[in-house]
Amino acid sequence: MLLLTFTLAEPENFAVWEKLLLAGLIIASAALFWRRFGVVLDRILKSKNDPGFHLGNLGRRVWDFVSEVMLQSKVIRQRPLPGLAHALVFWGFCAFALVTVNHIAAGFGLPYLSPTGAFGRFYFYFAAIFALACAIGILSLFIRRFFVRPRWLGAKLSWESGFIAFLIFALMATYLAAFFTTNHAPATRVLWWAHTLCLLVFLPIIPHTKHLHLVLSPATVFLSRGGFSSIPPLDGDEDFGLVAGQDLTKLVSLQAYSCVECGRCSEHCPATNTGKILNPKEIILGVRAYLNDIGPRTEEPLLGKYNSQEAVFQCTTCGACEFQCPVGIEHLPIMIGLRRGAVNTGAWEDDYGTKLFNQLERGSNALGIPAAERDKFIQKEQFPTFDGTQEYCLWLGCMGGYDPKGREIVAAFARVMKHLGSSFGVLRKEKCTGDPVRRLGNDLVFQQLAESNLEMLAQSKVGKIVTICPHCVRTIQEDWKAYGTPPPIEHHSEFLARFADQLPRSDQNQEKIVFHDPCYLGRYRNVYDEPRAVAATAGKVIDPPRARERSFCCGAGGGLVFLGEETGERVSHARAQELVATGASTIGTACPFCNSMFRDALGASNQPVPQLLDIAQLVARSLPAASEPGPESLKK
Amino acid sequence: MSGILVVLEERDGRVSRASWEALAAGRHLAGNSNQPVSTVVLGANTEATAADTAAKSVARVIRIAHPLLERYTPDAYTAALQQLIQSESPAHVVFPHTYQVRDFAPALAARLGQVFISDVVAIGDGPVFTRQLMQGRLTGNYRHQGNGPCLVSVQAGAFRADAVPAGTAEILPFDPQIDDAAIRTRPGEPFRGSAQTLDLGSAQLIVAVGRGIKEAENLPLVQDLAGALGAEIAASRPICDNGWLPMERQVGSSGQTVAPKLYLAVGISGAIQHLVGMKGSQCIVAINKDPEAPIFEVADYAIVGDLFEVVPAITEALKAAK
Amino acid sequence: MKIIVAIKQVPERDAQVRIDSAGKWIEEADVQFAMNESDAYALEEALQLKEKHGGEVIVLSAGPERVGTTIREALAKGADRAIHIDGDKLHELDALAVARLLAAAIKPESPDLVLTGLQSDDLGLGQTGVILAELLGHPHASLILTVEKTDSGLNVKRELENGWFQTIELPLPAVLTIQSGGNKLRYATLMGIKRAKTKELRRVAASELGAPATPLAVLESIALPQKQRSTQVLPGTAKEAAAALVEKLKFEVRIL
Repeated sequence: MLLLTFTLAEPENFAVWEKLLLAGLIIASAALFWRRFGVVLDRILKSKNDPGFHLGNLGRRVWDFVSEVMLQSKVIRQRPLPGLAHALVFWGFCAFALVTVNHIAAGFGLPYLSPTGAFGRFYFYFAAIFALACAIGILSLFIRRFFVRPRWLGAKLSWESGFIAFLIFALMATYLAAFFTTNHAPATRVLWWAHTLCLLVFLPIIPHTKHLHLVLSPATVFLSRGGFSSIPPLDGDEDFGLVAGQDLTKLVSLQAYSCVECGRCSEHCPATNTGKILNPKEIILGVRAYLNDIGPRTEEPLLGKYNSQEAVFQCTTCGACEFQCPVGIEHLPIMIGLRRGAVNTGAWEDDYGTKLFNQLERGSNALGIPAAERDKFIQKEQFPTFDGTQEYCLWLGCMGGYDPKGREIVAAFARVMKHLGSSFGVLRKEKCTGDPVRRLGNDLVFQQLAESNLEMLAQSKVGKIVTICPHCVRTIQEDWKAYGTPPPIEHHSEFLARFADQLPRSDQNQEKIVFHDPCYLGRYRNVYDEPRAVAATAGKVIDPPRARERSFCCGAGGGLVFLGEETGERVSHARAQELVATGASTIGTACPFCNSMFRDALGASNQPVPQLLDIAQLVARSLPAASEPGPESLKK
Repeated sequence: MSGILVVLEERDGRVSRASWEALAAGRHLAGNSNQPVSTVVLGANTEATAADTAAKSVARVIRIAHPLLERYTPDAYTAALQQLIQSESPAHVVFPHTYQVRDFAPALAARLGQVFISDVVAIGDGPVFTRQLMQGRLTGNYRHQGNGPCLVSVQAGAFRADAVPAGTAEILPFDPQIDDAAIRTRPGEPFRGSAQTLDLGSAQLIVAVGRGIKEAENLPLVQDLAGALGAEIAASRPICDNGWLPMERQVGSSGQTVAPKLYLAVGISGAIQHLVGMKGSQCIVAINKDPEAPIFEVADYAIVGDLFEVVPAITEALKAAK
Repeated sequence: MKIIVAIKQVPERDAQVRIDSAGKWIEEADVQFAMNESDAYALEEALQLKEKHGGEVIVLSAGPERVGTTIREALAKGADRAIHIDGDKLHELDALAVARLLAAAIKPESPDLVLTGLQSDDLGLGQTGVILAELLGHPHASLILTVEKTDSGLNVKRELENGWFQTIELPLPAVLTIQSGGNKLRYATLMGIKRAKTKELRRVAASELGAPATPLAVLESIALPQKQRSTQVLPGTAKEAAAALVEKLKFEVRIL
């Protein structure tokens, strides 16, 4: 029993003055903690209530808490090494809770864990293992921050982080060292006091720094709205989104104070990565600075000094930030909330945006093309009109109905549906789902489009919808809920994957296809395997460096495809280069917007480029051409 | 209440083409009822235009000359024509559908207690006047009722200017009473839109070039064509991205939106980003060697062929036509 | 400045129209309606004048109940109040009769300026504003792109043909018909719509403004035009195609 020779040493017989000093220090430390934390808590609690929020779905909340907080799943999965180091520190702290309370209690002569008792001995050893892991973890993080210096942590070295790291390391070291002394040794007393001082210094630092996340983020994760990019309903006639401090809700304020400034959101942001001024971390910190300086329940505009309107309208709503965030911040509702505030009040003035809004106010599609052009396409392809007898309503979307290349994707998918014997019809009065105006924050036009489409769908007695556009899928299924009950909808990748074994297979299975995950299919809908399964019928599917939930945006989302020229590098070019660099002979897409953005980007290249095909086109290529007199063969 | 008056306009001292078309419409109207067709010229100096129309096959030329008619104002024109119409009591008064006519004819009709049937594209028996509705998606057939004179204007190009045969006609003066004080608007000298800054949006003719041009060195080919047409040059995004033409000439979703009378697309495949910027053009001509290029879906005229052969041939043919 | 803007509700620009069973008008149940485009520019001009010089913008529209949505849109964009001339069969009236109704509603308000769009997207007569000026006894100018207020009245920029323009001075009160494109339109906002709810919307029955006379111009029937836009491929060698194109540009497009 070698272990028994190591027993945690605890000083004995604390003098009265020591007890008084300890009590005084504890009171001072707690007071310093509360002086700041009380203010933060007050700001959060004074913020307005979250419309539509309820504590239901406890199962989901508990699961998120266990997974993201206790098991540190997001922290580790998205940045494995630093994530693990962080988890070790976190778990160390958890294990240490009992030890710390006992440590202080011992100072008053009331320890409840005996180093020699069975449970106490076991627990101190148990905590020692965590203390060791924690010390290694914090040392690694220190080395990363001060020597590796990843740029996402900011150009400026944070000495406060260094000091915190020192405190944590010292806490662990003073604990572990006490295994090597005896109760009566003066060193034990020194170690005890050193440990105590570290604790009492650490406590007030928490609310004054980003280490506030220690206290807040468990609550942030537990209380999150849930879902992905859940845009809250507007609350009555005077709510236009995030206009001023009075519009900041408790959740927004809680999330703003929870930010740990890790920069994962910036690291994955397509805007930040292509030289735009938008940096999602700065948006959140801007809200925090506003809360600090101005506070909630005020009329000072949120956009201006603390966050720039220009930055907010550079967001593609790809959701990489929200997906990455380890402390439960929901960036998209904040970003879109700020846009809503600017658009719903008319503060945002942009020629392209105004044109888009006016087009969708009076017309049927975001491209501003007469609906008669869509009819011509439907006639040419001989698509049947949906009359209630067909199984599926084939939703064309703006790109499928008007964009020449989008039409090719729809036509290819329709041929595959015919081949599979699935009946479908199209709607003559389909309008834009409102995706671009929803993301740009125009609630008026979005409501008009959602309501008119919902009414039309109800009249047409549509049972199931299938579409080639992930943006249509998301908007119909999630965003329309505010105005009615949309019929179930699925993306063509999900439809095709169900029939994977009936799809024609390409003869030469050697074609290398690099698949680009659309944001609105992947992060928004959690569909990753289906499009790959479909593409796999046509060749060998490979992933680009950033794939699946870490996929890099094409630049079209959030209504940005309809706005003017980007500043800095074009997002579409950055991603297209990454896809080309894989050496694949084909780029596979599953979203007509991505397809269009890459077509544009590849078109600008003077080098030979891979072919660009939607997964439906990849499948349709191998259909027997003669056996099925599809619309293609009718073309002269 | 009989006879047809055709009110002519002058341009650069001569009777305008649109006015001859209006005369042709007036003669067509008379053809159904055998009424005499007279022309009306008005202005401060109307010798030349009166002589122009006197050399055509018309019953009479009524010449209204008054110093207050020198520069067009709706008040003076309305007053002069109201007096003429009241003294002549014609069955029909025909105008060319010009910006000037649109400015006073509705008021003139109202002053006469009448309704003006504007922008007529065809005249059938009855007479029935056909107009375009819903921006050309429908046509409507109008009939005039009641006893007063019926005022109509005809759309440019609806009747053939050269359909009016030559002849000789008597020129009769008509002197209206126009009170200076009754003229309430003060028109300024006409001026050209500023040529300083490029405004593709208001260009009437555009030649646009796309990736099919391959090299910057080939641009003069297209510039020659634009020169021969008197058109502005525009481009799709890759051309401007490459810096071959300035960004301000880019047509499309991230550039300018244009709606010219003619959009001639050379070597442009027609990505949606481009189409949304030019789909409002009145006439689209596309030249591309790929018969499947989406630009052909929006084109009125398509030439499938090698632009390096087709474009010089068009430039040549245009020069020959002038 | 007290400004009245006369706006018309018309079928949406890309509405798919069907002719009704009587062959006299379109099947209205099929289509959605929107503010006439040049009227939207007239409203924008009025709002900008108000923003610069103060005053009031009153929206005036005639038509059946559905016109209310367009009126509310105008209020949402910033008009102060509205008058709705309510009547179900107004589309059977001719331009003069409609202008008489509008004039009857305008007169008691004695505005400084009346604005209309240049022409409607459905009937395209392009007359209402000019007739209104005659009926109100005000001077007018049509095809106006920009409006400037001067000490003595207005200074306006009028579009002429072929890229020419002209400046016109006229005293107030006056009537202007506004050409599309002179300004940038603002978009309707949620806040505007909510605020519009509290603004005055006065309904006047068309019959209260005077009994309509027998129409002088009657729309007897409507039809689909014979020629549909389609792509003509010009075949042959480069030379032949070029010659064919120049021919088309001369005689069909008429730009040479």
